[in-house]
Amino acid sequence: MSIFIKYYKSGGLNVAFSNKIWRYNSTSADMAINKGEEEEEFRVLDILKKRQRQQRRVNRRADVQPDRADRMPTDQNWGNVWPGPKTFHPSSVPLPLRQGYVPKGQAPPGKKANAELMKIPNFLHLTPPVIKAQCEAIKQFCTEWPKLLNSEEAIENHYPVEIITSDYCHASPSIRNPLARIVTLRVKLSTLKLDQHARDKFIRLVGERYDPETDLVTITADRCPIRKQNQDYVNYLLTACYHESWNFEEWEREKMEEDMEYYNWDKNPSKRSLVNWYLKTQNQSKELSDEEYSNYDVSQIPNGEEYKVAVSSYMNDGESEGTVEKYGEAVRKLLGLPQKKVVS
Amino acid sequence: MISRSWRNLCRRYSQTVTFRTTESSPSQHNEKQIGLFYSVNHDLCKQLFAYGGLPKSFAKQTKTFTETAIMVRQPALDLIDCIKASDFNKPVIRYVMYGEKGSGKSLTLAHLLHYAYEEGYLIVHVPWVSEFLRRVPRHKEMSNSQTREGFVDLPLDVAAWLLHFKTQNQVLLKNTELKISRDYVWSKRESTVAGSPLSQLVEHGINRVKYACDVLDALVYEIKQLSNSKQCKTFVAIDGFNGFFCPLTRLHTPTKKKVKPEEVTLTGSFLELAKNDWSNGVVVVTADQLALPDDHQDSYLPRYLLYKKGFELLDPFVPIEVGRYTDKEFLSCASYYRDRLWLRGPPEIETELKFTSACNPYKFMEQCAPL
Repeated sequence: MSIFIKYYKSGGLNVAFSNKIWRYNSTSADMAINKGEEEEEFRVLDILKKRQRQQRRVNRRADVQPDRADRMPTDQNWGNVWPGPKTFHPSSVPLPLRQGYVPKGQAPPGKKANAELMKIPNFLHLTPPVIKAQCEAIKQFCTEWPKLLNSEEAIENHYPVEIITSDYCHASPSIRNPLARIVTLRVKLSTLKLDQHARDKFIRLVGERYDPETDLVTITADRCPIRKQNQDYVNYLLTACYHESWNFEEWEREKMEEDMEYYNWDKNPSKRSLVNWYLKTQNQSKELSDEEYSNYDVSQIPNGEEYKVAVSSYMNDGESEGTVEKYGEAVRKLLGLPQKKVVS
Repeated sequence: MISRSWRNLCRRYSQTVTFRTTESSPSQHNEKQIGLFYSVNHDLCKQLFAYGGLPKSFAKQTKTFTETAIMVRQPALDLIDCIKASDFNKPVIRYVMYGEKGSGKSLTLAHLLHYAYEEGYLIVHVPWVSEFLRRVPRHKEMSNSQTREGFVDLPLDVAAWLLHFKTQNQVLLKNTELKISRDYVWSKRESTVAGSPLSQLVEHGINRVKYACDVLDALVYEIKQLSNSKQCKTFVAIDGFNGFFCPLTRLHTPTKKKVKPEEVTLTGSFLELAKNDWSNGVVVVTADQLALPDDHQDSYLPRYLLYKKGFELLDPFVPIEVGRYTDKEFLSCASYYRDRLWLRGPPEIETELKFTSACNPYKFMEQCAPL
């Protein structure tokens, strides 16, 4: 009987009819058979409840959206994404950044949850196009650059005094920085109207603030609490030094040869010995006074001028192999000796 | 035995070719002989340098090498050229030799002394100024000057120097033409009359040590007079001249006061010779770092070493640098040392020595010593 049923289960439409018929007929018989099977089967005691465990549902996560950084279009306006200074945020920056301690054989930590990247200040809000756009925006408030100030020299010529200050910008409760009060004034000494005496005195007055290599006088003031005060003070110092250097005090006449800041050949024994030597070669023996010595015209001595230059540079430029050699050449010319032969 | 004589023969043969010149007269030396050695006659050496003049280490070496061989170098030739070209009617020309320690200033001076001797100059040679002023043996004879107030005499040193002067000029001093121009009265009984020979003055200084310093003063004056009157030409050579200008000497007066160089009488006498107020002479001085205290040896250039005083005294002078060996000189010197068996070993050693000694003659000699 069961064979029959199987056959008719796998049958087509035409079988359906007969199925119906047979069902009505064999209802009672089927019931009897099912009862008999249930009674025959053993129930299994499932102590470890293996089946249930297998059947436990796997918790599926809800679908995560892809990172914002990955979804950014390549032609977006970056200035809109990162308009102002802020701490680093990985999802807003579509760059494969890595930063931090590098374990051996591994790459540095990535940008996500990376405290190192968040600690450091970033300039993502100051990209060149953004700066350009901001400059364009400010331009309407600017005045035109003077046409005559077209070169560094022109600027230096018209505005010789340079004032240097520093502004500080930081995120703290106070926006004041004490270092902002410091004012530095820089001016080229050659732009000041000074004569020889005044120049010498000015250099002595400013002391180490004058740099002979660059010819710059640098005056720095930080003693007053406010920048304006310091700036006034710096200007005052420059003015005071300038006018003081033009004053001639009575005691300045006592300046001796040893106090000279440079070697003045005309007032030194070197000239005296040269003149004496020259007079002796001319078989004249004259006693000259100091005045006559310093006013003696060297150009009448053959090669005397060159000797003067050589000795002055020897003394003023400091002693070196070069200056000694020059001095030697000048002396040989003066005394009429053959020049040193160059050894091949 | 045969092989030894063969080796000697080889050595002698090589001598003539590479590093030696047979020209033993300095006045004949020229550029072709630069870097070559010439040997000085033993007797002459004794006469010129018996009381100093050669550096100690070199003197020792001459004993080892059984000859006094001096290298012909550019500075000496340069100076000889200048002397030949100079006009002796004009005031004397001062030459200052300078150079690093051990570069051969003193030996160049020795070469020039030989030249001066051959040319018949009256030689006034101070072997080493610091010998007077800075070297203080246990018993340094020192006395206050009788003639000049506040000055200090070094009679024994001066007498020794007079002896040196006498030996160097023994030939010239025999010439009785050199007469003194003034009367010198030393004491009631002792005096030297005008017209007596110069040698008598020198003898007096040596025999009567007490008056040695005064004799030196007189001698300097007379030499200047004689040179001016063309009776002799004078070659003044002072080694370590800058020693006269150092701030203090190592001498003490009995009252423990330190003596300055200008308070020593002999300083004044020798400085008088270095002035250019006389003619018919040559003055060659050296400026040496070793003549000064340790704290003033930073540079080897003349202005630094001579101080302001010395520079002003000598100006205008002709500076002459005595430098390190050139390549040619170094090779020649190395082959000379090889010949004298002072240097042995493979030929590569020379490159190394050249590097380690930096071509400094003294250092090269020192470094070859243990090889």
